[in-house]
Amino acid sequence: MKARWTIINIIVTLYALIPVVWIASLSFKDPSTFTDGSFFPTKWTWKNYAGIFANDDFTRGLFNSIGIGLISTVIAILIGTMAAYAVARLRFPGRAAVLGFSLLISMFPQISLVTPLFQIERSLGLFNTWLGLILPYITFALPLTIFTLSNFFKEIPWDLEKAAKMDGATPMQAFRLVIAPLATPGVVTTAILAFIVCWNDFLFAISLTSSSAARTAPATISYFTGSSQFEDPTGSIAAAAVVITVPIVIFVLLFQRRIVSGLTSGAVKG
Amino acid sequence: MGHHAKKVTDGRRAERRLGWWLCAPAAVIMLAVTGWPIIYSVLLSLQRNDLRFPDRRAWIGLENYGTVLTSGFWWSAVGVTLFITIVSVAVELVLGMGIAMVMYRTIMGRGLVRTVVLIPYGIVTVAAAYGWKYAWTPGTGWLANLLPDGTAPLTEHWPALWIIIVAEIWKTTPFMALLLMAGLALVSEDALKAASMDGAGPWQRFRMITLPLMKPAILGALLFRMLDAFRIFDNIYVLTNGANQTSSVSIIAYHNLISGLNLGIGSTMSVLIFLIVAVIALIFIKGFGTAAPGQEGAR
Amino acid sequence: MGRRLCAALAAAAVGTSVLTACGSDDDGGVPLINLYNSPQQNMAAIVERCNEQAAGRYRIALNTLPRGADDQREQLVRRLAAADPGLDVLGLDVTWTAELAEAKWIREWTGRNAEEARKGTLVMPLDTAMWQGRLYGAPYNTNVQLLWYRSDLMPEAPATWDGLMKASALLAEQGKPHYGEVTGAQYEGIVVWFNSLVASAGGRILTPDGMRVDLGPPALKALEVMRAFATSKAADPSLSNTKEDDARLAVEAGRAAYEVNWPFVYASMASNKPDMIRDFRWAPYPGIDGPGRSPLGGANFAVSAYSAHPEASFQAALCLRDPESQRIAAVKDGLPPTIESVYDAEGMAKAYPMKRAILDALKTAAPRPKTPTYQNVSTVTAVTLSPPAAIDPPRTLSTLRGLISDALQSKGVLP
Repeated sequence: MKARWTIINIIVTLYALIPVVWIASLSFKDPSTFTDGSFFPTKWTWKNYAGIFANDDFTRGLFNSIGIGLISTVIAILIGTMAAYAVARLRFPGRAAVLGFSLLISMFPQISLVTPLFQIERSLGLFNTWLGLILPYITFALPLTIFTLSNFFKEIPWDLEKAAKMDGATPMQAFRLVIAPLATPGVVTTAILAFIVCWNDFLFAISLTSSSAARTAPATISYFTGSSQFEDPTGSIAAAAVVITVPIVIFVLLFQRRIVSGLTSGAVKG
Repeated sequence: MGHHAKKVTDGRRAERRLGWWLCAPAAVIMLAVTGWPIIYSVLLSLQRNDLRFPDRRAWIGLENYGTVLTSGFWWSAVGVTLFITIVSVAVELVLGMGIAMVMYRTIMGRGLVRTVVLIPYGIVTVAAAYGWKYAWTPGTGWLANLLPDGTAPLTEHWPALWIIIVAEIWKTTPFMALLLMAGLALVSEDALKAASMDGAGPWQRFRMITLPLMKPAILGALLFRMLDAFRIFDNIYVLTNGANQTSSVSIIAYHNLISGLNLGIGSTMSVLIFLIVAVIALIFIKGFGTAAPGQEGAR
Repeated sequence: MGRRLCAALAAAAVGTSVLTACGSDDDGGVPLINLYNSPQQNMAAIVERCNEQAAGRYRIALNTLPRGADDQREQLVRRLAAADPGLDVLGLDVTWTAELAEAKWIREWTGRNAEEARKGTLVMPLDTAMWQGRLYGAPYNTNVQLLWYRSDLMPEAPATWDGLMKASALLAEQGKPHYGEVTGAQYEGIVVWFNSLVASAGGRILTPDGMRVDLGPPALKALEVMRAFATSKAADPSLSNTKEDDARLAVEAGRAAYEVNWPFVYASMASNKPDMIRDFRWAPYPGIDGPGRSPLGGANFAVSAYSAHPEASFQAALCLRDPESQRIAAVKDGLPPTIESVYDAEGMAKAYPMKRAILDALKTAAPRPKTPTYQNVSTVTAVTLSPPAAIDPPRTLSTLRGLISDALQSKGVLP
């Protein structure tokens, strides 16, 4: 039994990690050996990493990514939770409209929103600023947040809250001691999903910024150069890809238990 | 009696007000950021509007739609997109189900497996796409060098399509697995135990108990994924940029709208993409009975 | 604690955005000239030099554009179309002049400025900055393609594509590396190849005014040559996936015997494969019946129509491309100059042993068609010609005529 699970685990691990290991290995290859086509580097070097940190564009990009991502996620979760609670538990006219509009946003192609958004931001002075990226990121994280959280809130046994109140707890206490612990895993999961959406974005980062003041890390990759205008800076791109993956890996490592429990404990059996 | 009825109305009104207040911030932000751009896009689709020829702007009604819908390039992109979507979502469903079960039930290294599986989902799409591109580039790539000498799979239509599909599947199967795992959690252990005591083998238990109980979760996951899969962009942009007829509808819209500066045609394509996605959503919701997000009856 | 953190983050966000908004203004009355240029390693040094020379009359701030030419164009056009005053001097690819000029996004160069820009500048590069008889840019650098071959495999370089195909066949028989690298991928490179073939055959893709398609018998000949090359022994199986850098790598890796490419390959070979550089020679771009007309590349500096400081911008642009700036760019970054006298400057002989060949090629170079819709024309041409082995000359020609016609009107859908 154990052996079978070990083999299955190994297969799943290989599936998930082989492409990642390949990018990492590219990032450690000496540029002169790029064309030898081997999976692992024949000549190891830190040159590629040194290169991307040589000027502070990429570092600034990472800083922007983390800051903008965190702020967008926090705000999206705050207002998304409120909206999700309303949608899941309350009846009011406009409930369908909120859901419908969220669905509309998540379905409308983002490319067509870039140019009008650029024009609006430019006239408001938001172009190439943190706020200029935070607002669209919140907007595009909200549908995911509202849908996921409203599902979670539906699963929570609100009767427990009523029972706690009947036992003498104040509404605040009931919420804090009964509801919040049940809702937290779901909120954490959604926060991570929302952060990944913000971290991942490329289109808006490239179109709504013009300098390292607000450009995020994925967009900075387009600005790397090789030693001539025709060369793809393979090493730099690979190194940058590894660096922007590391925070996510750490995130996932730390919160993996929460993510999974968030998805499974929200479902109450019986 | 009347007193009781009045209390209910008050309660209802309070509930409504609370609902509006709670939704207000979200609604305001969403409207403010996307309201005008969406309307603007639709308006543009009814104009002849090319950024380079500002004097030739005119309202031409549905003429753009005619131009796009009679264009071979557009239909080729639709075909490619549908193919990629259907194949990748189908494989993701099967693979995702498998991985969901592993994540849910594995006995050892649970934390490690669950972490590892989430990494492809967390990786930035363009970063992963570059990885795949270099892997399939003759000379540089370890995958390309496994093929007979001289083949450049990214430059031929079908090999390139399969490479794109593989890249998509690798990236989003973990997300599918996550969604499906939530559904797995709903399958009661007691029912499974009872069935196994009745002599049902693991495959039978899966088919007769797990799958039916997971149907809402599966449909929900399918709906979510298809909406996203149809708008595939990042992977194709990096791998081939649409060369050799591997353009998806998003790529061709990008080429016309942002590279070609033809706002009229580009916006028309965006509206058409949205309509197709909406139709897919409708088919799932009305046809298969998938619960729309937020609807009752999700279980 | 969490709440305080939130507040701090929010304050930082607002603070950063306020700071950034302030950053683009002039500081203390000195006009700030925003230069947007493609990535170039020593551009910062050139900008610094010009700032010193400006001595307070203006200050140039260097902003880099993305690596890819298409990405650069998208960024510039998006902001110019929105009348963004944050752009002053723009480093433009030679093929964008007509597009930006026609849309009135860049200013015309007149009077003293135009005189300065024209002085000593080579004819063909200067022509790339002109649209309908008016000057819209100051040429910065230029580029031509040459035939680069391994003299240990081919003692003499043939002057025609036919000759190259025969040489490859001979090498193949001898079991030696026999590929000839050419940019045949579905992108601008294949259009460049086609354009040069048509020009070498004595024809044109568009009429000189850029209004109509001109593809005649020379174009048919060009298509035949392309198809023949792509199906001959000279063709690398990856031909339809080859861009400039792939061509360079193939020769350096020893898989190919020759390539048509820009001169950056020489410096690259010297640093990557010093043992091969001895036998690495160059020759004029091959033609149909004799030497051909090389593709013409390069970049010009233009001034945005929405710049808040036009006169200072013109001055800044002139400094950024003056002989010394061009010398730095040529010697350190491998960008051939557009001012003739710079070719004899210090360091040029060592960096450009092939400068005679470059100057000769510049005399007959084939510029790409001038039209505001060049992007469209290029896209449909690349799609139609790809893959080169599948070309059916008469049918491909008529498809090209139809698609390019539509593209000129910005009619129809781009692939």
